[in-house]
Amino acid sequence: MRAPTDSVLLRLDDISLSFKGIKAITSISFDVKAGDICGLIGPNGAGKSSLLNVINGVYHPQSGSIRYAGRTRRRMRAHQAAEGGIARTFQNIALFKGMSVLDNVLTGRNLKRRSSWVEQMLRVGRAPREDDAHRLHAEQIIAFLQIHPWRHVLVGTLPYGLQKRVELARALASEPTLLLLDEPMAGMNAQEKAQMSQFIRDINHAFGTTVVLIEHDIGVVMGLCDHVVVLDYGRKIGDGTPAQVRANPAVIAAYLGT
Amino acid sequence: MPHTLPQALLRQAHTRGSAVALRYKRLGIWQVRTWSELAGDVGELAAALHQRGLSGNDNLLIISQARPEALLLALAAQWLGASVTLLDPEHDNRAVLAERRPSFVLAEDLQAVQQIGEYRVLIYLDGRGLNHPHAAGLIAYADLSANAPAPACATQSSALAFVFHAGTPVQLSHAQLLAGARTLIAREHLTCDEEALAARVFAASGQARYLLAPWLHAGFRLNFPEALATRDTDRRELGPTLVLGTRESYGRLEQWVAERLPLPGTFSHRLYRWAMQPTPSPVRRWLGRWLVRRPLLDVLGMSRLRVPLLVGPPLAPRSAAFFGALGVHPGHWHEPSPRHAPTDPLLSRTA
Repeated sequence: MRAPTDSVLLRLDDISLSFKGIKAITSISFDVKAGDICGLIGPNGAGKSSLLNVINGVYHPQSGSIRYAGRTRRRMRAHQAAEGGIARTFQNIALFKGMSVLDNVLTGRNLKRRSSWVEQMLRVGRAPREDDAHRLHAEQIIAFLQIHPWRHVLVGTLPYGLQKRVELARALASEPTLLLLDEPMAGMNAQEKAQMSQFIRDINHAFGTTVVLIEHDIGVVMGLCDHVVVLDYGRKIGDGTPAQVRANPAVIAAYLGT
Repeated sequence: MPHTLPQALLRQAHTRGSAVALRYKRLGIWQVRTWSELAGDVGELAAALHQRGLSGNDNLLIISQARPEALLLALAAQWLGASVTLLDPEHDNRAVLAERRPSFVLAEDLQAVQQIGEYRVLIYLDGRGLNHPHAAGLIAYADLSANAPAPACATQSSALAFVFHAGTPVQLSHAQLLAGARTLIAREHLTCDEEALAARVFAASGQARYLLAPWLHAGFRLNFPEALATRDTDRRELGPTLVLGTRESYGRLEQWVAERLPLPGTFSHRLYRWAMQPTPSPVRRWLGRWLVRRPLLDVLGMSRLRVPLLVGPPLAPRSAAFFGALGVHPGHWHEPSPRHAPTDPLLSRTA
């Protein structure tokens, strides 16, 4: 095992994951430095989403360890990940479609509540103060991601690109240290992709949030990320800066083409 | 009697200092500034601009949507005797900027900043995306401060107050603006109890003439929507008594309603048609009002509307018929008030 450095927020060490004998991830190791934007790329079925699910505890690897924020675990549990400051968005949008944008964003604040359910139900004690503080925080995120015109609109009625932004807002509302984004720009046109890239960059700059994202658009990844990890058939075939990855013959052969 | 717009502001601060002058939305919550607070803010900004070299002979160029910060800075520049040029941020202003070579600029965001070439002082409202937000001459609005008292307020009524470049260039002096305000206040019986909505303050000269100057002279409340895209929602929340619109803005609302009407042939659509038709029957008028017209006015945020104003060309016949049926008859002002048509399909964003 390599000695961790202080600036490494997340370290995956020799992670392997299989489903009923089918190997999804084989012995993958890489570091994500605090404050970096790290891109996970690879063809469909390369194991990118599985790896993201391992990081936030949805899947438990058969071998290897995860070191996050100075603590090493054999396996991460989903609630530990959320409490530890890991938030995520999903490839297929997982919002509460029948709730408003504001209410969806407020659900991202649930783990920050300290008042008991009795206080919340009767709106006494710490609950009113908490309500105000959480509303303010949610509004700041809504303003930051420029979704205020749709604050009270039901999420299910919004176009796809905006729903993606609402999901990002919900993840951001939990004040994450590590933000996992599973294809945040899937299905978007060039203009929407540029806008979403700018939002991710702004989040990284303004809040210092470390970002790990999966994206198929190589142009976006190379322009946005400080560090790129390339997967192919569940194995890591490249790991480095965008320039290093672009020059890696194995990556060129497997993914980037000529 | 005030001779300039900042003097009108000071008079309001003196006579009704604790009354609400400005209301604007931040983070979903309406915030208020009283006349005395506003005068204090403008005085501080004037001192900050003075410290950065703005004087009576200068011009402050503003590229911004209707935002209270832009209004306050415009008044601060006029406090020093300088004039203010207002450009529409939705328009490509590079030609005007290249010709004018402004020294003092207020830019709303990165998009506006990118249009500007050379400058002496550039103040920005939203620094997101700026590579070098602390470069020489570049300053955030929030960081504008001065460690000196406010300089004396300029008093020359013939001085230029606003310059517009939308279509035909228009120049307005303080005297013209205040005279126009007095006329409007007298004709429309405007009082300090009016609630006005400033959705597009800086897009047209008519907005300065018939909204800003009367606001400062009559002392009513000026309300700013959270953003251009939220103006319909914000109008609904506020229920303004005074609105100033162009043919396009009234037409946009009429179209917004038309797109949401029940399908023809349905009972709801027949009821709508029945209620909107002129009729001599008082019972039908009463029923139509309570069943359709009043709820519709509520949805449009016009249920408390007392003074609907129209600048520029008259309403299209369809819009005139629609608003006429609702009992809204915009007072027509023939002065030209050119503005640019919005480039975005705002209707779709304000559903």
